[in-house]
Amino acid sequence: MYYFAQILIVIILFAIQTTWLGMCSIGGVVPDLALIWVVYCGVHCSRAMGIGSGIVIGILQDSLSGGLLGVNTLSKSFIGFFFATLKDKFYVEGVIPVAFFLVASSLFDGLVFYFSMNTVLKGEVASSFIYQSLPVYSIYNGIVGPILFLLFNQLNNWLRAKTSDPYMNPVK
Amino acid sequence: MSLSAKQEKGISFLDSMTGHILSPFQNLFTQSVQSVSDGINHYFDLVNVSRENERLEFEVERLVNEKNALLERIFRQKRLSGLMSYKEERKKESLVATVIGRAATQWSKVVFIDKGTQHGVRTYSAVVTNSGVIGQIIHAGPTTSKVLLTIDSRSAVDSLFQGSRVSGVVVGTGEKLCKIKFVPNTAEIKVGDRVLSSGLGGVFPKGLVIGTVSKVVRKKQGLFQEITLAPSSDLSNLEEVLVFLS
Repeated sequence: MYYFAQILIVIILFAIQTTWLGMCSIGGVVPDLALIWVVYCGVHCSRAMGIGSGIVIGILQDSLSGGLLGVNTLSKSFIGFFFATLKDKFYVEGVIPVAFFLVASSLFDGLVFYFSMNTVLKGEVASSFIYQSLPVYSIYNGIVGPILFLLFNQLNNWLRAKTSDPYMNPVK
Repeated sequence: MSLSAKQEKGISFLDSMTGHILSPFQNLFTQSVQSVSDGINHYFDLVNVSRENERLEFEVERLVNEKNALLERIFRQKRLSGLMSYKEERKKESLVATVIGRAATQWSKVVFIDKGTQHGVRTYSAVVTNSGVIGQIIHAGPTTSKVLLTIDSRSAVDSLFQGSRVSGVVVGTGEKLCKIKFVPNTAEIKVGDRVLSSGLGGVFPKGLVIGTVSKVVRKKQGLFQEITLAPSSDLSNLEEVLVFLS
């Protein structure tokens, strides 16, 4: 039940990302719901679940965006691994810490893409990417993220009440 | 006769006196009864009006939705007729498809269409609108396909300038504009020049509009100019597209 619900959440997030979210774009930039979900899983779920969600979400994003040879798998896996492993070392609760870590994760995600495209994949990424799109993307994620975190918390608490999953950490 | 006349006079006097005394009260009572009766009637009328209002609100809502649906149908019809006339002009086997989704990441410029191999769509088919080239199919599933837009960083289309016939390669930048590479410094290119597909590469037929030049930078050093291209179609608001099947 718990894992089924998680899969359903991921499907809904991807459906929203690929359809409605374009309406909320700021200068062509939209928030990355999948990235926010990976950070959430890294912080609130078990270590295996955090890393696993990073890998799965990354692969899904790669397959849904024309196969960037695993750029998203690389960045999302690393983000999932980072939060799942080091979540006890720092405090990711409250609006400001969540927003800060989401901005940092978004910057990392964008930089992985930028350097992969410009070095390994020999793509042509506009230089305005670094000083225009990437900051807007990071800040947008930082604003939307805490709201989604609250929503995911509510959802996870409800799921926890419905199922008794031993792998799931309590959500404060 | 005199008695009856006296009596009538007395009665009429009494009558008028009674009338004078009673009439204000009668008026008062009549008005109060009237107002109570009016109040009750209006109350019931108001109930009816409220129900009528509710019904009319529903009706207005239904009509607004109907109007929106009709407007939407008219706009869609206009777009489709544009695509169909373009299709007839090109005389190539093609298929109208609807855009059903966008890329799952911020960085890739990909859209999904509702036609796949079951409808004859193949990988590397050209995708256009009546304004010009928008991209190519990079994956064709049974019922849906993935289109790589020309603005994607991985996209490259061999092209030529309509006026000067100088060739170059249109590459995406991941932003709203593209760049044209490998155009020699000696070529006379100016802002507003139209760029067409050259037909080389086998994906896009020759002569399709890709966009217009929006910026030209000639460096003193270097072999090539830095040219920025504005795509002819608005790639952020795609709804219906044409897929070339052959």
